[in-house]
Amino acid sequence: MADDYSLKLFRAFVDHDPSRAIDVISAAKNAGVYQSQIFDQIYAPALSLLGGAWASGAVDEYAFTQSSVVAEKVISFALPPMKADDTGVTVLMGTMHHDHHSIDKTIASAALKEAGHRVIDLGVDVRPADFLARAEETDAGIVFVFASMSSTAASVSRVREMFQAGNREDVVIFVGGGPFVADADLARAVGANGVSRGVESAMRLVDRVTAAAGGER
Amino acid sequence: MAHRSPASLLGETLAREGRVAPAVEACYEALASQEQDPLLHAVLAHLFLADGFYDEAIVSASRAIELDPDCAPAYLALGLAYDRRGGLWDQSILVWQELAEVRPDLVIARVQLGEALFAAGFPDEAIEAWKAALQLDSGASRAMYDLAVAALMREGVATALPGFRRAGELDPSQDAFFFSLSGVSDDGVPVPDPAVVPEDRDARLSAAYALAFREEYFSAAELIREILVGNSQDAEALALASFLYLKQEAVNEAMAVALRSLTLSTKTPAAVYVLGVSFARRQGLGHSTARVFSALAKAAPEHPMPRVLLGESLLSLQRFSDAKTAFLLAVKLDPTCVRARFGLAAALLTQGEYAAAQWEIRRAAYHDTRRQGLFWRLVDGYTEGRSI
Repeated sequence: MADDYSLKLFRAFVDHDPSRAIDVISAAKNAGVYQSQIFDQIYAPALSLLGGAWASGAVDEYAFTQSSVVAEKVISFALPPMKADDTGVTVLMGTMHHDHHSIDKTIASAALKEAGHRVIDLGVDVRPADFLARAEETDAGIVFVFASMSSTAASVSRVREMFQAGNREDVVIFVGGGPFVADADLARAVGANGVSRGVESAMRLVDRVTAAAGGER
Repeated sequence: MAHRSPASLLGETLAREGRVAPAVEACYEALASQEQDPLLHAVLAHLFLADGFYDEAIVSASRAIELDPDCAPAYLALGLAYDRRGGLWDQSILVWQELAEVRPDLVIARVQLGEALFAAGFPDEAIEAWKAALQLDSGASRAMYDLAVAALMREGVATALPGFRRAGELDPSQDAFFFSLSGVSDDGVPVPDPAVVPEDRDARLSAAYALAFREEYFSAAELIREILVGNSQDAEALALASFLYLKQEAVNEAMAVALRSLTLSTKTPAAVYVLGVSFARRQGLGHSTARVFSALAKAAPEHPMPRVLLGESLLSLQRFSDAKTAFLLAVKLDPTCVRARFGLAAALLTQGEYAAAQWEIRRAAYHDTRRQGLFWRLVDGYTEGRSI
């Protein structure tokens, strides 16, 4: 079946007919081919047929270029989805008060967004009360607090205290930054639920919490 | 320029040949009679740097500059010594600024200045320096790598990736890899005249590769067409044709021809390479790109470049640990691979390993400067009083 669509798509390329090319892709989707499979199963084989037609001289250089322009016009219909689906999980991130180190937080924040999470980045030098206030506003269930200095890392306990005082002990607090990576006990001492040891670790922590909460948080 | 003694010239000759110990000995012998020769001190600094004696390199290069504040090679040696020693960013910034003043056309001075500024915690000024480098030379791949790393630290992977890809395209090692896959290298043989190439397939293909190597893409394409007229199913000829399209920014044509080549034979790594590079230029094809480069890495296990390309595609998939492994393998295969070290630095940054990332960038800087033979170009310019 995919071969049929590839052949039809190739013909649409050679006939310089972008709307027919889009129709072919739509028909393939309606027939049950997933968006993530269109490129590999239909578009790439159609391009290969086009390459073969050029090699044999069945299409000349000019027609080859024109056909490639049509292929370019419709490629966005054939590419796999670029962004992950919205997970519905809201994650709050910020660097502790009096701490201006942003790199860990920025990289983790961008990666979690790419993974489909709703990330609210509070920036650097964030007061414990601001973590609580924004968690209330956004109904975030996961908070990442970053600290790169011993003094600011120790003061993360104030964030946990703030959430306890606000009756939000249900919020999961993860910590990140050199002091927590170097001293595993420090995270426990400040009341954190886990330590992020880089971007992949942050993504795993969020996945674990969401899985435990049945996909919602 | 003062008359140079035979011992001084011997020291320089040995140093150019990479024979560090006898070169140092010859330089010291020359210094006994020519202590006031700045170039001698600069060469000595370069030799110390090569052997990892950073403090000694700093002393020698500083003495050269003291004797002649316009001694550009001494600034280069001094700046590199400060950078590689680490922790002396203020001095390093000053040296690169001075080199940029002594040689305002020198791209590397701006690049190094940016790296020193970034390490010292002045990211905005660093970005300005790298942009200035790119204005001087739009092909300055290292400045582009640096900008990509800065984007990674300030905005995350998604913003940084296009920068890494662009830097990779500017990096001459990628084309070199394509040609090495096909056994083509700069053998000094003149470019063949397409009009007198023998009318057999192998001679035409060989000539087409030689022409493509010299960037004579249209002549190469004509020879490929002649091969295809005889046999339109020649997978190797199609692989080169796809590369020629890629070099002319015709990505869909390149993809079409590479796919055709691979339909005919899966044993054409050159077509696999073109397909992967074409895929990498399309957002959303991360999985396909990684699959293709993984196959290429298996087909050419001795080359670092497929590992680098694989690592970059894994970064786009947020598979940072796997990317780090790929870059580490590339560095193991070729410790001088600048692109692998920048990729490794990116992967390390995602794991919060800043010191290790900075170290990789410094190593990349060192190898990049060596690759360009910059010290000796500056020496030649200084000696002959001519510009590069």
